[in-house]
Amino acid sequence: MNAKLKKKLTPYGYLLPTIILMMILLVIPIVMVIDYSLYDNVIANKNPVFVGLSNYAAVLKDSAFWTAVGHTLFFVIVSIAAHMIIGMVFALILNTRYLSTRTKGIFRAIYALPWMFTASVIAITWRMLLDPNGVLNYFILLFHLSPEKVTFLASRDIALQSVTLINIWSGYPFYMISILAGLQGISPDLYEAAALDGADAVHSFTGVTIPQLRPILISLIMLDFVWTLQQFALIWMTTGGGPVNATETVSTWIYKQGFTKFQYSMASTGAVILLIVCTIIGIFYVRHQKAEE
Amino acid sequence: MIGKQKKSVKALIIVLLILGAIWAGFPVLWMLSNSFKSNAEIFEFPPKLVTANFSFEAYAKIFQNPEQVRFFINSYAISAIVVVLTLFIGIMASYAFSRFEFRGKGLINTLIVAVQAVPPITLLIPYLSLIVTLKLFNTYWALVLTYLVFTLPYCILMVTGYLNTMPRALDEAVMIDGGSRWTALWKILIPSAIPGLISVGMYTFMQAWNEYLFALTLTKTNDMRTVPVGINLLMGQHAYEWNQMMAMSVLGSLPILVLFLFFQKYFIAGMTAGAVK
Amino acid sequence: MTSWMKKCLVVAASAAMTVGMTAIASADDVTLEFQQWWGVELPDGALQEIVDGFTQESGVAIELLSNPYADTKTQVAAGAATGTMADVVGLDGSWVYDFAKQEAIANLSELMEADGYDDSQLSDQIKYEGSTYMIPVVNFAYPLYVNLDILEEAGVEEIPTTWTEFMDACAKISENTDYAAYCIPLNTEAPNGIQNQFSSWLWASGGSLLKDGKPGLTDNELLANLVDYFKEMKENGYLSDGVEAMHEQDMVNEFENGRLAFMVDGISHLTTIKKESPDLNFTYAPMPKADDYDGKSGLDVACWGIGIAENCEHKEEAMAFIEYMMSPEVNAKLSQLANAFPGNSTAEPDYSENDELFLKAFEIFQDGYAINEFTGAPTAEDLMRSMNEQLILYFDGDTASVDDMLAATQEAWEAAYN
Repeated sequence: MNAKLKKKLTPYGYLLPTIILMMILLVIPIVMVIDYSLYDNVIANKNPVFVGLSNYAAVLKDSAFWTAVGHTLFFVIVSIAAHMIIGMVFALILNTRYLSTRTKGIFRAIYALPWMFTASVIAITWRMLLDPNGVLNYFILLFHLSPEKVTFLASRDIALQSVTLINIWSGYPFYMISILAGLQGISPDLYEAAALDGADAVHSFTGVTIPQLRPILISLIMLDFVWTLQQFALIWMTTGGGPVNATETVSTWIYKQGFTKFQYSMASTGAVILLIVCTIIGIFYVRHQKAEE
Repeated sequence: MIGKQKKSVKALIIVLLILGAIWAGFPVLWMLSNSFKSNAEIFEFPPKLVTANFSFEAYAKIFQNPEQVRFFINSYAISAIVVVLTLFIGIMASYAFSRFEFRGKGLINTLIVAVQAVPPITLLIPYLSLIVTLKLFNTYWALVLTYLVFTLPYCILMVTGYLNTMPRALDEAVMIDGGSRWTALWKILIPSAIPGLISVGMYTFMQAWNEYLFALTLTKTNDMRTVPVGINLLMGQHAYEWNQMMAMSVLGSLPILVLFLFFQKYFIAGMTAGAVK
Repeated sequence: MTSWMKKCLVVAASAAMTVGMTAIASADDVTLEFQQWWGVELPDGALQEIVDGFTQESGVAIELLSNPYADTKTQVAAGAATGTMADVVGLDGSWVYDFAKQEAIANLSELMEADGYDDSQLSDQIKYEGSTYMIPVVNFAYPLYVNLDILEEAGVEEIPTTWTEFMDACAKISENTDYAAYCIPLNTEAPNGIQNQFSSWLWASGGSLLKDGKPGLTDNELLANLVDYFKEMKENGYLSDGVEAMHEQDMVNEFENGRLAFMVDGISHLTTIKKESPDLNFTYAPMPKADDYDGKSGLDVACWGIGIAENCEHKEEAMAFIEYMMSPEVNAKLSQLANAFPGNSTAEPDYSENDELFLKAFEIFQDGYAINEFTGAPTAEDLMRSMNEQLILYFDGDTASVDDMLAATQEAWEAAYN
């Protein structure tokens, strides 16, 4: 009996430290945020009044919030697509048999470089590169790519694209490494079989490589979706969400509500909405994991 | 005919290789170049890669400033503790997920994954209150525990995937010989999972090393600050120390680069083992 | 108990011990934490030297927490929300209203009265609902910086003193040189360009953004003219490229590199500019005025303000520290070091070692009066941000007329004042 009980409890024992940590440091703050979102305002207001879901109604009616959602979607979708394409191309290059192991090693390290920097450093570096008097504009004028200097971060028409470009640069190495790992796990037999069937390079890519990588690619997309959705520092430190609201995303919107308007309840409401979306993605991710197993 | 095609493929690959290197490496090269310039030269137009005042002064200033050296020590200490604890706690949890069937397994698993989706900025204010209540404000532990919460889920996912690829017969053999599950895990399973663990460990180290927002708000005094906050410390209200900022960025990224170069074989091998799935 | 459980316990216990020890170590004699961004701006070690003087006098230790301006702001805001603010904090005039309203900073009127402090020597006090919450320690004026070499190259002989003259100078600069004439940094992250590089023009011509303490942006002819004036500069290409993404620092970099003829900026920048660009031939001048204005000029000032956290447990000592910082000698010393003007009206800084340009700025300062309408305003940064956005929309032609632009801004501002 005792042994049986012990056996039943063992897995929980192994999980205990994780569960305790998550309960205290994650579940409590999440509950607090949800609670904040149900009051007229907290912290800035010493006697908060319970208002139920009216903050949610206010946020969902706010056109500035929806503009931010639109920008966020552009930012996330373009980033993911570009991460995927660049990561795939680089991984394929690094996986060809035409290059020596040493060459591959060197370029693998170079291609992984953007991964090594913290967001504030990336923001500062790119602000210098994209400056009207920066090096990129120097080349643009030198090669006559544009009649005048391009104001990448200052123009409302291209600021969002510019910020997205920075995010693409900083995020593709994770794809590259993961896909590279996946490519090396594909058995050569599969390619030989495809070649015997008369498949050319394109067909063996679509017929063997892609299906074999599918689980990795789906995982990557889901993880990246969540990570990019959260991206704050990069945007805040380059454009601050501007000019006007050209690069405003949900995370900069939340920050402004909380830290410059001192509307902590509205900020919390935005946070909970983001949380719900992310949790739904998380559930899909787990489902997908299960299906793969 | 075939030889010709091969040659053109090779040429295409080399062109792509170089274009890719420019795309990935140029911003870093520029950062490096700026760290050797004087502040005014950084904004010269037309820009130059190497300028007249080329000097190591910015680096020297950082090494001479004990406060800035302290940032590096803090970052190393915190990141190292986070890696060790993440692996330790994460491995135990992964073992449970990989080897046991129990009630609530699916639910706990879902929660742990969903946690990855929580945008940290949304939790900043309540989290800060919590850390203050726990009397951890302005300590290493505030940052260590915070980073654990954000690195553990990824670790558990990866390591569970990894353990799943190892036959159960391995641990059963140990237990038949009279060993405990604990021994089976640490003496048999873990040693053969080293590549995977290195890959997880590196990822964890990078997360902890690069984090900025919590490092700024959960600590107060400069002896608790980390490198990313230290870099921002060089932005005054009126004047930026651009060259020192760039130098500190280069120095701050160096440990990660070295780790990557050392472990990249394992890093990739670790992911191959079905861990990303 | 299995062996791994024991191991876990050991880990947990040692973790708890470490945590406990840090908690004990922090209980000590009276030490006041002083959080500010000034230490970063002053010469190395200068602020430490000043506060050491207080420790010698009173035995109360001061621990400096010096961080850059933006980081200090985030930390003070987070500290205000959670009661972890440092005992004494450096404040910007634009933060006061919100922190006072949140009851995060202490009522200084009460503390001064309890201490019998004579506040008549203070040149200014920033109030919320009638009580003082912040005292400006030193003030920085924002005069016009003029690059004389660019003016010469452009053929501008006199430094412009009126709006018309200034616009003519801009036209010449744009025609005869490759440089920008003026700059207003409009990055959304730090929208203080509205305060320092835009509103400063309004104040210099005796104008105001407020009417009876409330937003007065509509039916404000001078303001409407100024907005159109800026739009004209923008449309004619007189402003630096990419102002919409610039921070104040970027503007200074442009000036340092000799690519900008005029800028409005704090005199605190003087030392850095002299250091970074020793060959730059520049001077200070009073702000150009509206053509028909001949009254006194309001000069934009920013200040390093000081306040006490509501959660401070040693308010008496903290007040004594503020009194020390405001005492004539210390205040004079700090002003001299910071290239600033003293917050204590009886302080007499010895500027003889300061740059001669500084003395010129001092003259300009004495000719006019100090003003900054964003000091003590509710969610001041957000006010600047909404005007920033409306100004860009008007520049870009999204808003049809200046009246619409000001009406939209007025609406946003009124929401904050309610």
